This record gives sequence, C-alpha cells and structure tokens, in this order.
Amino acid sequence: MPPKSQPRPPVADKEAVIKLLKGSLIKAEQDARQNEPRTGLRRLTRAEYENTIRDLFDMPGIALQGELPPDGSAHGFDKNSDALDISHVNLAKYIEAADHVLNLAIATRPNPPTVQTRRISLANSGGFVAHVIMNGDGVLLRDKKPDPDFPPAAEQNHIDEGAHERMGSFHNGATVGLFRHEDESLSPYFIEHVTIYPGLYRVRTSLWSFQWDKGQVLPSRGTEAARLSVVQLTGDGRGGQHPSYKLGYFDAPSMDAQEHQLVTWLNHNEIIGFNVASLAPVANYSRKGRAMAFTGPGIACDWLEIQGPLHNVWPPVSHRVLFGDLPISEFKAADHPAVRPPQRKQVRQLGAGKNRPDPAPGLWTVQSDQPLVDADRLLTIFLPRAFRGPVDAELRQAYVAKVEERLKAGDCFESAMRWAYRAALCSPDFLFHVESGSTLRVENHDAERRSTLDDYALACRLSYFFWNSMPDKRLTELAAANKLHPPDVLQSEVDRLLKDPKSQRFIDDFLGQWLKLRQIAATDPDKKLYPEFNPYLQDSMVAETRAYFRELIDKNLSASHLIKSDFAMLNEKLAVHYGIPDVKGSQIRRVPLPPDCPRGGFLTQASILKITANGTTTSPVPRGAFVMDRLLGQPPDPPPPNIAAVEPDVRGATTIREQLAKHRDNVACASCHAKLDPPGFALEAFDVIGGQRSRYRSIGDGDPAPRGAIDPFIGISFKLGLPVDSTGVLPDGRTFQEVREFQSLVAADSNRLLRNLAERLMIYSTGRDTSFSDRDQLAALVAKTQAQGGGIRTLILEVVQSSLFQNQ
Amino acid sequence: MILSLFCILSFAAADEPKLIKHQITGLFSPDREKDLREVFEKQLPQFKLVSIDFKNAEASFDYDPAKTFPGAKPEQIVERFDNELRNATRHTFGAKPLRTIEKDKLKLVEISIVGLDCKACSLAVYEMIYRLKGVELATANFKEGKATALIDPEKIDRVEIEMVLKQRGVQLKPQE
Repeated sequence: MPPKSQPRPPVADKEAVIKLLKGSLIKAEQDARQNEPRTGLRRLTRAEYENTIRDLFDMPGIALQGELPPDGSAHGFDKNSDALDISHVNLAKYIEAADHVLNLAIATRPNPPTVQTRRISLANSGGFVAHVIMNGDGVLLRDKKPDPDFPPAAEQNHIDEGAHERMGSFHNGATVGLFRHEDESLSPYFIEHVTIYPGLYRVRTSLWSFQWDKGQVLPSRGTEAARLSVVQLTGDGRGGQHPSYKLGYFDAPSMDAQEHQLVTWLNHNEIIGFNVASLAPVANYSRKGRAMAFTGPGIACDWLEIQGPLHNVWPPVSHRVLFGDLPISEFKAADHPAVRPPQRKQVRQLGAGKNRPDPAPGLWTVQSDQPLVDADRLLTIFLPRAFRGPVDAELRQAYVAKVEERLKAGDCFESAMRWAYRAALCSPDFLFHVESGSTLRVENHDAERRSTLDDYALACRLSYFFWNSMPDKRLTELAAANKLHPPDVLQSEVDRLLKDPKSQRFIDDFLGQWLKLRQIAATDPDKKLYPEFNPYLQDSMVAETRAYFRELIDKNLSASHLIKSDFAMLNEKLAVHYGIPDVKGSQIRRVPLPPDCPRGGFLTQASILKITANGTTTSPVPRGAFVMDRLLGQPPDPPPPNIAAVEPDVRGATTIREQLAKHRDNVACASCHAKLDPPGFALEAFDVIGGQRSRYRSIGDGDPAPRGAIDPFIGISFKLGLPVDSTGVLPDGRTFQEVREFQSLVAADSNRLLRNLAERLMIYSTGRDTSFSDRDQLAALVAKTQAQGGGIRTLILEVVQSSLFQNQ
Repeated sequence: MILSLFCILSFAAADEPKLIKHQITGLFSPDREKDLREVFEKQLPQFKLVSIDFKNAEASFDYDPAKTFPGAKPEQIVERFDNELRNATRHTFGAKPLRTIEKDKLKLVEISIVGLDCKACSLAVYEMIYRLKGVELATANFKEGKATALIDPEKIDRVEIEMVLKQRGVQLKPQE
C-alpha cells in the first residue's frame, strides 16, 4: 500500500508516523514486562543435560539424550523457555538417568578393569561378512592376492559356513576385501568385541582399496572411503541394524594400507560397525560366476584393533567427583552387621564378543570413618559444580540430612551418598537454568529497567552458548572473582571457548536448528530419480555445512559468505557431486571454487537443498520460504486457509513453475508469492539432493540421461525432461537470469544477513525470543559489527557484549 | 642266571608300547594327516600318535586308558577319546569304533562335485557323506574336485548319497 500506480506519501511524513508508532509500541512492551525477567525459567534441553553430565563426570560418551523425552521448539530453537515444559514423565526419566550415571561413575573395584587388546578380522565369527564372502560379495586376500586357502566364490558358493568357521578359514590373518555395501540384509560388524566396561577405547584399523578383476587384484580407481560406526546391540544380541552414531569416514588408498586411529567412548554392549561407504551397491551372490565373474572396486580391511578400557587414573575422575580420595575397600557383611551392602547392577554381555569380563573382585565400595563429616565435605565440592553457582550452607545441609537419613535407615555410606547425589541431579538447581540478576539498573534514555546477570549466570550463558554445557573451571573462577563482565575478559573467554573442540557442539546444535540440519534424513530421495544418493553423500552434506560455518567463524568472514563464496568445504564425494575436480579423499577441507561456480554459501549447499525438498520433487515455495525465513529474517505469512497445495507433476509433463504460475495469478496468493517465489525459482537450478541441473529428471517422458559423474555400477532409469527456468524478479523489480545473479543480489545486503544471524544467535543464546523493542539494539549491534569489517566472529562477540545477552 | 634272564625278558615285555587303534573321522584328504599330527603334538600330547593309515582312516596311539581315562569302562574309551579329539579340533576330527565289516564287501562310489573350492568345503561335503548310515569311509578332495564313499551296498547306494548332497545345496557334475 498504496498500490504501485498511486503516489507515495512524503518520506518525512512516513518517518514521523513510524517514529510515533515505534515509540508507543516500545513503551507498551516495556510496561508489560516491567520488573519481569525477559528470559523465563527454563530447564536444560536433552543435549544440554547430556553434555553437562558428560563434562561434570568426565564421561565424554555416556548416552543419555535418547532416553529423555523430546524437547519442544519455539522461535526456531529448543533452548527457548517457551518450548521447555516439564512433566512427570521427564522427572521419571531424570531419576532413571541419574541412576544410570551414578552406576557408571562409581568405581566398584580396587583396580581398573584389565586393558584388553583384541585384533579382529571383519570376517569374524558370528558376523555377517563371513557369510557374504562365502557367496562372492567379498574375498579373502593375502599379500594383496586372493588367499590360496580360500579361493573366491565362483560358479558355486563355498559350502557350509560352519565348516569354514571350524576349519579357521576366517581366522588365519587374511585381509577381507569387501565389494558389497551395507543394505537391509547386510550389516558388517566387528562382533568379536562387545563392550563390557563403558569407557574410552583406542580403535585402530588398516584399510586400502583395490580393483577386482575376476580374480586379479589391481590398483583401484582412487582412494575409497570406509565408514566406522558404533552400533548398540539389542536385547537379543543381534544388533541394531543401523549405526547408533558414526565414528567417521576413513580413507582407503589404492593398494597402500593406511592405518587410522581414534579414541572413542564405548558404552555397554556397543560394537564397531563397518561399511564400504564409497562403493555402489553390488550383489555378486546373485551373479553367475559370483566373484570370479565380477570386475569392480573393493575396500580391504586388514584388521580392526580395539584396546581398552583406557584409564589414566584409578579410581576414575567420575568417581573422584563424587567421593574424592576416600579409600575403596572390600565390604564384608560380617564387619557391618547392621548395614545394607551397596547394590550392584549386573550387566549381561550380549552377542558373540570374545572379550571377557575380569573375575568378579568381590564387593568393593567407598567407605568412611566419619560419614557425615565426609558427606558435608564432598557435597561442599560437588553441589556448586553441579548447580553451576554458589550453594548456601542451608541448602547443602538439606542434602547432608538426606545422607544422614539413609545412614540411619541402614544404608552403607556409598548408598547414602548416592541418595543425595541422585536428589541433586534431579533437583531444579541442576535441571534448570537459574539465572540470578545483580543490580537492577536503568538503561538508556528510554528508561528500560533491566536486571544484569551476575557473573555466575553470565558464565552459564557463555558455556551453554558455545559448549552446550556447564562452565569449566576457568569460567567458574572468573565468575567467583566477579571478573567476567569486563569486555576484554569477555572477548578473551569467547575466543577461548570457540577455540576449544567442545565448541563443535555449538556449531552442530545451532545449525541443526537454524538451518534445520536435524531434518537432513527426513526424506529418502526417490531411488529411481536419484539412484546416486547414499548415506555417505548425506553425511558429507552435513559435514560441509558444519565445516563451512566453522570456517566463517574461525576466519571471521563476512555475512555475504552466507549466500555466496569463493570456496567450499568439500571431500571427494561432494566434489564429484558438485562437479569440482581434483579433490581426493574422505576428509572435508577448504577448496577454492572456479569463478563461475555457484557453490559455497549456505544457499547452494546440498544439505540445505535436500532439507528444502521432499525427496522426489522440488518446489520454489518451501525453498523460497526457507531462504526468506532462515537467511533473510523475513518469514513469509502462512498461506490462507483452504488453499490447496500445488502437487508437482512427477511425469514431467509440466514444470512446477508452470503449475505455480496458475496459483500466483490468484489475487489472494500473489502478494506473498511475489516475495517468496524468486528465491525458490533461483534454487530450481538444483535438484532434491542438491545436484545442479538444467533439465528436470523424469520417470515418464524424456530424453536418455547421460551418466555424468554417477558411479558406473549404479543403474540409471530416469530421463531428462523439461528444461529448468531459474529466472526471477525480486519484489523491488530487480531481475536475475540464473542462481549466481540471484546470489550476488542477495549477498550485497549484508546488513539484512547480519541482522538475521544476530537475531538467531540472540534467541539461541538467551533462551527467549527477540521483541519489537530489541530492534534498535540489534541494529546497533550490526552497525558495530559492520564498522569492524562485518565478520561473523565479530558479530558473535558483539552479541555477547550486548546488554540483550548480558541481561536477564 | 635263569632268574636274571627271566627279569630281563619281563622288562623287555613291559617296554613294548600298548598300541590302541581308533577309526578317525575327518581324514578326508591326504593333507589332513599333517593336521592330525599337529593336533596330537600340540594339544593332546597325552596320546602319542604312532601311525596313520589314511586308506582305512585309522590311527594307532600309544597311551594307557586306565591312566588317561580313570574309571572308564572299556566300551567307553572310544567315546572319551572322541570327546577329547573333538574338543581340541572344533569337531573337525573325531573317533569312532573300528569298522567291523570286511572291506571286500564294500563298494566304492566316486562323485564329482562343482565348487569344492577349499579344504573347508571338503570338510563340509565329507561330513554330509560319512555320517550317512551305511557309509564306512569317505573322502573329499578339493584339488581333485570329487568325493568318495566306501559304502555297504545293502544299506545305502549312490543315488541316496547324491540326493543328500543336492538337498544340502551341493552341485554335482554330470556323470560321464
């Protein structure tokens, strides 16, 4: 308004009205919120809870999130106080979780479990791989040739896997060469090690790749990639089928074994899983001649070695957090006639693991000669750490009283202390962000009354922002000394927190919600239209986006990089997908892009393009809405009720653009679509898995599709249909002919991009939505950032330095 | 003098080994003799393996059952020996009572097999055959691509053996 053809009001009049309205709205907001904290009391999210426990007890891999009820989401994030309700279900789960944590944390033996080292073949007893080798989907190799004692399956498969196990065919030190990708029937596991003692384990493996040619082992087409993962065995010991989580992708160079090593936490009954990630699916078991008729790539695994559990100190840190240096001794019932012994949870090892538990050492427990004195001492140390702030004597005594109550009831010292610790881990002081303000001070000429967070609350804001977890010792010391607020200290701490590997939690969690990366697996691309899609590509997509954001922060790059960039973070898989040559290997690294390449910024990253599609077709509407909302900070209005969605034509007879044109002609729809369609049209240049295209893929009519970079082992049945039209007109009348022009137009508006990102960071880090009266402060924050070069890292620092962040 | 001579003769008689012969299962090809010797050298030294007769799948041992299997009745010795041997070799070797039927009453059957690729495949085929009632001896050799069975024709015939193999997924070469 007014309509385009009508004259506009004078600028001065417009600004006067805006100023009047703005002043009224801000005052109304402030009056409504007077003396109320902006951020409501909120509990820890599942991720925050898990990370806090991990850091508090130094148990970096204990798995807790999956057992807690899902969090809600408000204003784009689960950290928001509007989203985090609590129910009796949550409390029941917290109690279970606390018991599980204490079971793992408390040492129950005088010495650490024996460190066992086990070297395992992929064709281990009881695993799937021996079976597929019998049928020709893998081979045994020795000295990079077929094992003479186990010829490759040919016209017939090998007979009777049991006979082969008993004759030791799979335990003679041979290398396993695997052709077959994991699928519904095959889940390669290293089943001979099933974790008994949760803890850190060193995992090493030796991998290489080869080209198999009907019995000959030749150099491969290049470096392949294998995936290691952790799989939780289910109750029947058969395995969880899909990985619980991935340890990573590892290079398998051609004919040259590369050793890889990592240290990871393993929980009870977890095993290591394997997959030939970069290979296309093949099935020699159904091929005439089996392996001896097959020509194609394979990945060889010489061995996997697991060593652990690794303990630098005993009792471990987790135990010392609870019991300090109190001695552990054997509990003899005869010596404590009126005392109940500590409870021990027996854990059954599932599956076919050959590692064995140590002999039971008897019943060992921490004991105290002066239990209440020790309880007070231990709780004095534990409670402030767990509650992330000072604990007054009265509160501490309430917990000591719990210990006393249990001791009088006949519990031993360990059990009595467990009672108090469990209560602490289920208390609001632990489960909630309790943010205390200090002085109530008047801020700026609008007389807004705010409460500045005290140092402890500020320390928590920082740590939960960048580490998704509790403050560490340094932050706590600064808070205790009231030295955290000065800007130079804050800057130094932000730099330190961002430099720490734990900041990856921020990257993953923030992007998971801001750019919806958590939804990356919400759709499965149609296998006929996109046969080249596989989990390796999907994981690489997510890795790209995370690594890219990390690079923006580390190098303090400008906001235009959110849209457009002269580099991308790629591995070989993604580089092939994007058509960028000369990138080898599975690791993500910075790659300069050719000048005419549209890749690089978030806008054209495959992860975003997949998340904004439905697995079969793309549509400008959801993609346009995503760009407007997530990148530009201008969320479109929801559609009016009773408006039917546009159903894409998968036969390829009409394009989505053509279908949408009829929709946009509707007056009720035109005004919104004028804004959200242009970004969507630009992104029509990319398919549902983020591949660039000039024509739509079709399963109906069309021309034969060239293979391009699609693996030669993947069958192609899709056709090339109608051409893609990625031209558009912005609401202000500027036009673009293709996606790169659109990128340039949008990237130029760095203020808008920074403003949106600032708002997202603010909502994420403070646990509340921004409001109308925050606009000026956000604008000032952006202006300060621009004055210092407009870098993303500078923006983050300005967010932290702002009163919006530091106020309650 | 006579007493001294008697003592010498007694000591000489006492030094003669007490050889016990068992029928051995798992000797499906000549190279299995070496495997069997290794088993007794490394894992079952209490049974001294003296000789192997591959053609009859028999082996002679020097051991004293009364010491090795105290309390066992004579009819239990083979079973106990079998248990020891199976446990030590993951059931790839075993023992059973000596054959009682005369060899000239047995008939030799030879069957050519597709995909007898390795020693373990040979064990698999051997085990399918030798456990059949009426089969007294069996071999399977992946180098030759065939299995043999020495059968009692009154109890079993070639057709039945072939049927069992086919049911277990073994592909046979057509007879020439």
